[in-house]
Parts: sequence; structure tokens; C-alpha cells
Amino acid sequence: MPAAHQLAVVENLQVHFFGGAHPVRAVDGVSFDIAEGETVALVGESGCGKSVTALALARLVPQPPGRYAGGRVLLAGRNVLEMSASELRTLRGREIAYIFQEPGSALNPVFTIGWQIREAIRLHRPEAGAQAEALAMLRLVGLPEPEKRLHAYPHELSGGQQQRVMIAMALACRPKLLVADEPTTALDVTIQAQILELLRNLQQQLGMALLLITHNLGLVAETAHRVFVMYAGRMVESGVTADVLAAPRHPYTRALLAAVPRLEGCEGRLKAIEGHVPNPADWPTGCKFHPRCAWARARCRVEEPAWELAEGRGTRCFFWQELLAQPNAATDH
Amino acid sequence: MTPDAPVMLDVQDVRVYYGPRRQPVRAVDGVSFQLRQGEALGLVGESGCGKSTLGRALLRLEPLQSGRVLLAGEDLVLLRGARLKAFRGRAQMIFQDPYGSLNPRHSIGGMLREAVAAHARTTRAAREERVAELLRAVGLDPAYTRRYPHEFSGGQRQRLGLARALAVKPELIIADEPVSALDVSVQVQILNLLKDLQRQLHLALLFIAHDLAVVRYVCDRLLVMYLGQVVEAAPAPALFARPRHPYSEALLSAVPDVGKGLAARAGGGSPRLVLRGDPPAPTHRLPGCPFHPRCPRARERCRTEPPALREVAPGHCSACHFADAL
Repeated sequence: MPAAHQLAVVENLQVHFFGGAHPVRAVDGVSFDIAEGETVALVGESGCGKSVTALALARLVPQPPGRYAGGRVLLAGRNVLEMSASELRTLRGREIAYIFQEPGSALNPVFTIGWQIREAIRLHRPEAGAQAEALAMLRLVGLPEPEKRLHAYPHELSGGQQQRVMIAMALACRPKLLVADEPTTALDVTIQAQILELLRNLQQQLGMALLLITHNLGLVAETAHRVFVMYAGRMVESGVTADVLAAPRHPYTRALLAAVPRLEGCEGRLKAIEGHVPNPADWPTGCKFHPRCAWARARCRVEEPAWELAEGRGTRCFFWQELLAQPNAATDH
Repeated sequence: MTPDAPVMLDVQDVRVYYGPRRQPVRAVDGVSFQLRQGEALGLVGESGCGKSTLGRALLRLEPLQSGRVLLAGEDLVLLRGARLKAFRGRAQMIFQDPYGSLNPRHSIGGMLREAVAAHARTTRAAREERVAELLRAVGLDPAYTRRYPHEFSGGQRQRLGLARALAVKPELIIADEPVSALDVSVQVQILNLLKDLQRQLHLALLFIAHDLAVVRYVCDRLLVMYLGQVVEAAPAPALFARPRHPYSEALLSAVPDVGKGLAARAGGGSPRLVLRGDPPAPTHRLPGCPFHPRCPRARERCRTEPPALREVAPGHCSACHFADAL
């Protein structure tokens, strides 16, 4: 039984997709947890399974082609994967809500902003007061001229404003966990900073937990308490953000950090990771990172390392202790 | 790059307008700069600032409203026929989307052979040799000539885009967001390749991007654009050390960065400067400085008097009345 302060616990989650010649193990035994009010980042590149993991938290992976092939997702102690349809309806919005990368495509173009926020409220509460509540939500997310915007259609707003509306809808029922899947990737840098500041303020104000799905390590460094790194459907590293970024234990985390250009500049060349992100339909044998790993040995090709968890730090590498002893463990810059 | 290298590209007061004549969209509104042989110049700004339009206009892919573009002293606007075709061989573009910029029905060999043949009449054997050489230069196996674009990953396709650009032996390459569609682990492969080739071949490179850290890694000098105008131009280290325009300052402050994040956790670092509002539409010209509605440092003068781009330190230009106080 998880500790009381834990809001979400994912245990050995398996999400597979059927449809092609072979089943695709998009998420392959992922475990992590989120405490109340905490900001957790799930990091990885395209196809690593981070978004599917996020969707699984509210059982939103479409079935078919998806299938929950194993594991548990506990939200407030109850297994989401075994809930009835009506239980799920109560859960979504109240316990957990989502915002996505493209606010423009997540909003319905033929309804006004006000209508869409009222709808989110109406599904969980009586209709009375929904209009006032929608207006209050728009104020909360700092949309300029909120009374006027209630009657606006999504195309009349800028990308940053659309994302504010998405946040207003997501928070309308005061969820305990907000899942933000690449919430700022489609936005300009200065707008990105506005949205992140807003999320941070709202999180403190409302005391909700935030799961940030991203590929941007800079964003992780600046926002998350803890970070989970995924590669090829597997969790490969976890821990407190400052520890993981300062002394990564998995070669993938380490290589990724060394490959990110820094604002302060760097001496000489950045070290590229050779090869490319593997295709989910065709994961490599052994350790899934071995074809691109600079430290790979014979054992890594045939045997997959187990997930080792100690003192809040998790890693999936046979040789992490040796790796840690190597010079320039932090960044190789 | 040597400071006295010949000027490859001389851009003089270029304007690109769209739409009705009475109230045009001023996508590029009076941009001037020089790019020398062997220099890597970064063009940064947010979406809608005109950076891509400017890049396209410089290759005559967009018509100019006014201004002059000289490539090695030759005026682009006046080029016609065979001389325009020759110009296309001297300047090439690499696009953001490597999926959209390769013809899915052409094999890699066919695509590169066509580009090589467009540049010079040679024997078939020499052409094949050149295609193999190009593939090797961008880190691909020369045996790939019979394959088609869909058989390659995003990073490999961007390598192919680069090979095709190099096929005509250009002197100038304009790269528009060449790595922003790629995964983080693959980005650096392409950046390193671009840097190496630029140095080896002594290319003039105009690198258009929104990611300041990426631009800093590749470029010697930077131009910052806002609403169709250059607001700051400076050598990369100088601009990052001390931005002399409030917009550049805000951009630098807004970028999430691993180093900054770790410093902030350790209790250091400066507080984030968050700009209010969105950039205004480029349809109507604001009185005064185009940045004043969002500028945290704006004063009365900024609302009425447009600042000129002026040198505030050797090689460092800023279009801010109060650049000296920054």
C-alpha cells in the first residue's frame, strides 16, 4: 500500500499496441509515483512512450489498437485500469486533467470559449453558476478582457491565449493532478515563459500536482522536483532533478545532457549521440540503449539490466557505478 | 572566419510587404546587414518576426518591396534568365521539414544526380563519383543511392537535404530552422555536420532559428529580429554576455536552460523576466519603438520616437534609446 501522501502510483505498466504485423510494446514495465502538490517531469524523445504513459493515467489510450497488458495505475489508492465507465467519468476532470501541445487542435472551433469552459464545469456540477465560474476561470488564467473572450471563438485567440483557455478548462473542476504534455513546445519562447509562470503560480495557489511531459531538459531543470527519464518504452533513470542532472547514472541521460547546447556556451564540440531513436515496433535486444551507447559491452547486447532503485535514485544500467566514477560525469562539456 | 574576408551577401534596407497597398503586412521592414565569406550569422526571433520571410527573400523566393540584395557584388533583383540560374547555384537553402522538402518519388541517387547535373556538365562516371562523395560528406553510406526518402530517419533526411544543397557547390547557405523538427539526441549530429562543412568549404551561412542556445553553438554573430526589424546585431559572445536591447534580454531570460535551472536551484541566478502580452500584428506601424508596448523599460520617448539601429560598442548595434543603460 503506497504512503498516504502519494497521489498517483504507476506500477509495472504495460501498454501494447496491436494492428501491425507485431505487437508494439510502447510502454514496457514503467513504474513511478507522484506526491500531492509535486511537480514531476517525464522526459524522453519521440516514441519513447512518455505520452502513452501519461494517457494511461486516466485510461485514455484508445482501445483498440491499444491494450493495457499489465501493471496498475493507482490514483488516490484506486486502480484506474479496473474502474467502471461512470467511475472514470468522475475521475477525469476532478482527479486528473490534461493539457496538450497544440491548444489550437484541442479546442473545438465551432463553439465559443465560454461554452467550452461551461461544458467542462457542467459535466461535474449543476448548471447554475457555470457562466460566472467560467468567467472566474478566465480571470484566474490571466486572459485579457475575460468578459469579451467568453464570446470569442478559438481562432480569434493567439496560441498563448488558447493555451490559457485550455488550462482554464482543465482546472475548472480543481483536479488534484494536471498532466501537461509538451504544454509549451508549440509556443514562442516569451509566451512559453508566460505559460510556465502561470502553471507555477496556479499550482501553488491550488495545491495540485503537475506531471510535465517534455523532451526539453532545460524545462525540467527549471521546473521539476523529480525527473523520470524514459527510453524505448522503459524507465532508465529517476531521482531528484538536481541530482539526476548534476550526476546522471544512465549513459542515455548523460549523453542527452552532453548533447544539449547551453546558453552559457561551451568549450569546443558537443558530443552527438550516434544513430537514431529506435522504432517502437522494433526495439533492440538486451539493453535498449546499447546500439547508441558509448560504454556498451558484450553483456549489454544480450541481457537487459534490471531497474535498480536505492535512496530515491533509480537506474537501469549494469555499469552505472563505473560510469559515475568516470571523469566529467556531469556533462562531458 | 577572418574579419577582412570578402562580403558575400550585402543586404540593404530590404522590405517585404504583403496584402493591400494601403495597409500592408510589413513582414520585413527595412533590414540591412552584411554576411562575409566563411561567416556563420544567426538570425533569431519569434514566429511572425519575419526571419523566414527575410531568408526566402534573400534567395528571391519572395518578391522584395524595396531594397537591394548583393551577392558578391551582383544585384539579385536585376538577375534574369541564365544569370539567375547561375545564382541559384551559388546560394542554397535548407528547410526545417526534411520530410516535406524531399520528393518521395525520387531515389536519393536520382535526386542528387539531378542537382549535380544542374551545376556542371560532366560525364556519367564523374557524376556518380560526385554523388558518392556528397553522401560521404554528410555521413551517409554511398550505397544508399537506390533508396527513397521514406526509408530514412528524420536526421538522415536532413543530411540528405544538406547533400542536395552542397551538390551545386554553393558559396552561401541559408538554413531555416534545420534542426527544430529533430529529436534532441539527433540535433547535435546535424549541427556538428553543418559546422564542419561550413568551415571546410568556407561557406557563408545564414542560420535562422528560434532556439538561442542552438544559434550560439553554430554562429559567430547574431541578428535579433522583432516585428520585421533588426533590433540588435552583435558577436554571439557579446550578445549573450550583455544584451543591449530589452527584447534580446527578455528572450535570453525566457529560454529554459539546464545551466540556469541548476544555478537557480543552488540559490543563484537572476529572476526571470517575463514579457507581458503577445507580439502585435505587423499590419499597422506603431509610433515610436515597435517593442514599447511589451517593454518593461519603456519610457515616454519610446512611445513617440522610433529608435535607429546604432553602434553602441565595437561591432555591437542596438535599436534602443537606452541601450547604454543596459
